[in-house]
Amino acid sequence: MDAPYLLAFVFALWAVGIYCLATKRNMLRMIFGLEIMINAANLSFISLAAGVPGFVDPLAHSIVVVSIGLSAAMSAVAITLVVFAYRHYGTLDVRELRRLRG
Amino acid sequence: MFALPLDLLLIFTGLSPLVGLIAARLNRSSISGAYSVAALAASAVSVYEVYLEASAGAFTSAVAVGAFASYMRVDMLAVGMSAVFLLLAVAAAVYSVSYMANESGSPIYYCLLLSMVSGMVGVVFSGDLFTLFVFWEMMCISSYVLVAFSRGSGDSIEAAFKYLVMSGAGSATILLGTSLVYGMSGTLSFEGLALAFGRSQPSLWLYVASMILLVGFGVKAAIVPLHTWLPDAHSAAPSPISALLSGVVIEAGIYALCRLCFTAFLPVQSQWLSVVAVLSVVTMLVGNIMPLLQGDVKRLLAYSSIGHVGYMLAGLSIGTELALTGTFMHIFNHALMKGVAFLCVGAMIYRIGTRQLSDMYGIARRMPVTATALSISLFALIGMPPLNGFMSELTIVTAAFQSDLAWLGISVIVNSVLSAAYYLRVVGAMFRPAESAAVEGAREAPWVMLVPICALVSMIIIFGLWPDPLMNLMRQSAACLTTLLSQGGV
Repeated sequence: MDAPYLLAFVFALWAVGIYCLATKRNMLRMIFGLEIMINAANLSFISLAAGVPGFVDPLAHSIVVVSIGLSAAMSAVAITLVVFAYRHYGTLDVRELRRLRG
Repeated sequence: MFALPLDLLLIFTGLSPLVGLIAARLNRSSISGAYSVAALAASAVSVYEVYLEASAGAFTSAVAVGAFASYMRVDMLAVGMSAVFLLLAVAAAVYSVSYMANESGSPIYYCLLLSMVSGMVGVVFSGDLFTLFVFWEMMCISSYVLVAFSRGSGDSIEAAFKYLVMSGAGSATILLGTSLVYGMSGTLSFEGLALAFGRSQPSLWLYVASMILLVGFGVKAAIVPLHTWLPDAHSAAPSPISALLSGVVIEAGIYALCRLCFTAFLPVQSQWLSVVAVLSVVTMLVGNIMPLLQGDVKRLLAYSSIGHVGYMLAGLSIGTELALTGTFMHIFNHALMKGVAFLCVGAMIYRIGTRQLSDMYGIARRMPVTATALSISLFALIGMPPLNGFMSELTIVTAAFQSDLAWLGISVIVNSVLSAAYYLRVVGAMFRPAESAAVEGAREAPWVMLVPICALVSMIIIFGLWPDPLMNLMRQSAACLTTLLSQGGV
């Protein structure tokens, strides 16, 4: 398979993740957006590992396995925060939390 | 296994839940506080051991696990940065023993503190981009929880969620950029990258990858269009954590950019650095204008961190050895200055229970030692001559004029003058007559808090009057960054 097509798909997926973060108001959906972005990066590693025909670099695969573990740890923390926020405000809507201004 | 200080930190971090359990059973949280102080101090001492080895020449070690080998690269830059991180971490841990004494769940707090610091030390010791990313995530994930640590207040949960979303998107972007660099070179170790890109021609994909990595690390380093999480997160966190976040965590982003600039970005370096130069001026301006509007002291200090990140980026964007010396000196000095500032403000908040500047009028009469220490650190942040902030800013400005980037040097000077406006407002407020009853009833901070504050303040004065040892160390760090290419065997 050709790397350029795969990379185009990777960037499209990454853009979907950013779009999701920018427009969604539900905290859980924002975490899904983050996961989509991380998976785009993982996919990019996998698609670039097969640069030479007939050979697949195992380095990229071990990197992706570690990175899946890291993203799971991050979502665990994120979902814990969502639970606390829900208990405190009784809503998952981010707009209700926007009392702080940057 | 890894380098010695990192090994010690990881072992102590692994054991800290056990110690925390014992402390919780005995109902004495000071046990885990003392444990984490001892762990950080032991690791800080062991940095000296590594310093002796690294001064003879950079060395690498590999930890092979299956198909993936994780490289550690210990050179003067790693030693210098880890010394900064551990110094401030020890001070923050000592301070926390008193600050967190009445909070529930403090054993968990110390466990997270240790894992955040080991993540930071791991970032500077790692010799390949993916090991850096793993330790980076270790640092980030612990800091998300630490920002949310103040129980019962909604502010901290909101701030932590905002921080998590922005920083998580940054991490995903870093991973994407890393994968592109890997796709171009087939390796991720810094020496391999210097070797692969050192003599190659600039390519479109390299421009794309360098910009993606700038965005990714820029989120954590609070470069301006990506800084919006910082004032919320840094002001919502417990004060010792604010000191660490402002003083060293955002500098880890600057470190990573410096490291990448002289390895993977070599073919596109001059264009990349001119982008960084423009961003640094914008960062400085926003970081020095926004604090003028703040009534909350911790928010004010958090915004001023953005201004100082601008100075560091200016040093990086000049790109000469002298300028990098200035950048690394400023990282060290900023850690001391902002550490003292946040710890002092934390002590005042601990006594009077409010973060508003208008409620702190006249506090110098009740807390003279804390107020004096805070004033000294604020003068150093402005860049007053006998203090350490002046030396590093002078180095950056000198380097700017030497490399015909006078506009950059002038903007650093203009910004430090501008910054005097809000720092002096804080100093002025503290020395006014007292107005509120809370301030009238305040007492001096407990001695456990004063010990780290006074130690750091004395270092601010010492390194202002006698900057030579610091300058030598940071010059060696800068040299090992710029000569990585020749060491790589090209």
